[in-house]
Amino acid sequence: MPLIGFLINPVAGLGGTVGLKGSDGVAEKALMLGAVPRSGERALLMLNQVRRKDILFFTCAGPMGEEILKKAGTSLINIIHHPAPDTTAADTREACRRFLSENVDLIVFCGGDGTARDVFDVTGSQIPVLGLPAGVKMYSGVFALDPSAAASVLDNLESTGRRDAEILDIDEEAYRSGTLATRLYGIARVPVLGEKIQPAKNIFEEQDEERAKDEIARFITRVMLPDTYYIIGAGSTTERIATHLGVKKTILGVDVLMNGRMVAEDADEKTLLSFLDEKTPARIIISPIGSQGFIFGRGTQQISAEVIRRVGLDNIIVVATPAKCRATPSLHVDTGDPSLDSAFPESLQVISGYSIARRKNVGR
Amino acid sequence: MQTKILLDEEEIPRRWYNVLADLPSPMDPPLHPQTQKPVGPGDLSALFPMELIRQEMSPDRFIDIPAEVRDVLTLWRPSPLYRAKRLEQFLKTPAKIYYKWEGVSPAGSHKTNTSVPQAYYNMKAGIERIATETGAGQWGSALAFATMLYDLQCTIYMVRSSYTQKPYRKSMMHVWGAECIPSPSTKTKSGQAMLAKDPDTPGSLGGAISEAVEDAATHSNTNYSLGSVLNHVCLHQTVIGLECREQLQKVDDYPDVVIGCVGGGSNFAGISFPFAGDKMTGKHKEIDIIGVEPASCPSLTKGMYAYDFGDVAGLTPLLKMFTLGHDFIPPSIHAGGLRYHGDSPIVSRLVHDGVMRAVAYHQSEVFDAALTFARTEGIIVAPETSHAVKAAIDQALECRKTGEAKTILFNCSGHGNFDMSAYDAFHAKQLVDYEYPDELIKQSLARLPKIS
Repeated sequence: MPLIGFLINPVAGLGGTVGLKGSDGVAEKALMLGAVPRSGERALLMLNQVRRKDILFFTCAGPMGEEILKKAGTSLINIIHHPAPDTTAADTREACRRFLSENVDLIVFCGGDGTARDVFDVTGSQIPVLGLPAGVKMYSGVFALDPSAAASVLDNLESTGRRDAEILDIDEEAYRSGTLATRLYGIARVPVLGEKIQPAKNIFEEQDEERAKDEIARFITRVMLPDTYYIIGAGSTTERIATHLGVKKTILGVDVLMNGRMVAEDADEKTLLSFLDEKTPARIIISPIGSQGFIFGRGTQQISAEVIRRVGLDNIIVVATPAKCRATPSLHVDTGDPSLDSAFPESLQVISGYSIARRKNVGR
Repeated sequence: MQTKILLDEEEIPRRWYNVLADLPSPMDPPLHPQTQKPVGPGDLSALFPMELIRQEMSPDRFIDIPAEVRDVLTLWRPSPLYRAKRLEQFLKTPAKIYYKWEGVSPAGSHKTNTSVPQAYYNMKAGIERIATETGAGQWGSALAFATMLYDLQCTIYMVRSSYTQKPYRKSMMHVWGAECIPSPSTKTKSGQAMLAKDPDTPGSLGGAISEAVEDAATHSNTNYSLGSVLNHVCLHQTVIGLECREQLQKVDDYPDVVIGCVGGGSNFAGISFPFAGDKMTGKHKEIDIIGVEPASCPSLTKGMYAYDFGDVAGLTPLLKMFTLGHDFIPPSIHAGGLRYHGDSPIVSRLVHDGVMRAVAYHQSEVFDAALTFARTEGIIVAPETSHAVKAAIDQALECRKTGEAKTILFNCSGHGNFDMSAYDAFHAKQLVDYEYPDELIKQSLARLPKIS
């Protein structure tokens, strides 16, 4: 019987839909802005796909695990921690200490980079961990691609291998002010099942990369159409496009440009949708998130399924430098809307230079 | 069934075939880069010997091959025509596949068919040195061989990415006594300008052409030589197609499909022009003539049919051709010889007129085809040639579906013995399927004002 430590960060991902780029310390603000907690929903999606019935779950009372496990019809539950109603990082760490003393086989947590860091603080590399992506930023390599990938890890736990996975974290204050400052926080162990674990996000800063960004920007600015909204995703490659237009873009935000001018800076989903109400054509320019290859669903939750639908799948321009392309075997979409995900074509063209593109398969 | 169809040395063609004579209307003339008026022979005399200029503009259907040139051609001509029995069996196709094997020349490709006459005419004109460019190194090594025969000096500007990727091509040039310089270089003004703009550029054929043209134009003892694109180069390559027609006649056959890979267009021109002539003069109206290009540099399939420069710096005459723009630097694919923004004006015209057509393939699928070819017929072809192999295999597979027993002829233009790193990359799954973002470009071009 596998023993699984299971915990949910109930406020993970709250900042994303309202453009806050993270939830650390801003959960209340996010809730006021109308954010809806989604981490429980993600966890439920996974649990519903787990086929085996012999797992003994150790978890926390209430929204940190128990509620969702019960919702999923799981009966083998052992409550090891009772958090106060406003759960904090301290509760995550306490739960992990209990998991350790219970000698669990694997800790499954639902959250983002912040939660990964909290888990790692306690477990180090003693126990394998598996993240279920529900945060705003998931640069760390401990995250499963999606809930179904995580479910198949649980179903095949005995036959999985182990590998090292970097825990990265980003300075949230710097992140909000437009600086992508990541650091290696530690090396965790993750169960390996085929190719479905997200590798750690790489950030390229070579000389060659800078040239490549300029070439991409030179090309994109040449083919930009007039009187068209350009929704430009996060990242340093897309930022370079704005730089070539003489516009200062937030490196981590989603901005809207038209006719070479900034129309909306750091837009949230609501703002984006407000533009798309008009009859004006729109396009999305987006770069995959590091070696994860995610173009939608990670780090750019403002560009929601509804935004993508209104813009149209034909109007998505994917850009990535050659080095990023190399580290990104395929693209992935995980918009939270399975029917939209499956409407994506089998492969997309990725602009990787001036008049140069390459074809990448789209996983989902 | 015969595997190799061979001709005697006596049967090497005595005349080149000039397809211009069979065009229904004259070509749009090359224009002077400054005046934009049609160029005359005088405009080209700083670069080429008069006999080659005459051939470039000749309306004659046939042009005699000098006896001295034919004598050198006997070193590898007539080249064998193979029936690809093993490939046919492997593909289970009712089609008959023939390939013309040009890899038997000293430099390992069709390029010597024109480097020898070009060097010969320059020697006759009293020229002491020839400057040229090379992409993958096939042309550079072919001209190095030819200039050595006639005691000429040879300076070769080799596209930098190939210079590093294919060091043995450079070694061949050295063996035959030529000087090989990575391009862009600091030796020319245009090279300096390219380096100033981008010190780490992989270089391009168009850029190397600028350097060689400038070198020739600024030295009175030096002429320029081009390995593809121009009419006289295509003319010299017609020995390939002329021999093929004879060889097929010996086995009582005639092609339904003729295939060649296209960079500047000369090997494709070589195998196809005699058949294009048959098509235009109504002898064989149904023949399907297919040029194959890389999806990353698809001038014939995605380019515009317009006047453009042949080089990056804008030193050459403006040529009416299919082009991706002379400032386009194609990605560093292994088929370096196909990395050219434009195409032969004659090939372009024939594609535009529908006498020929073009298809484009990604890098990994052509290597996959090359592997199939190597494992059936034994020959490891050059990455450029693998494009033609891929199209031939696709045609044969189509025949398997339809049950048609078509006769497919393709030009097996060169060997890949110096391209093994490309095959290694293919095996390591490191080949990138580059392509040309034509949709984005077309949408943005649609709003440009039309210039007449």
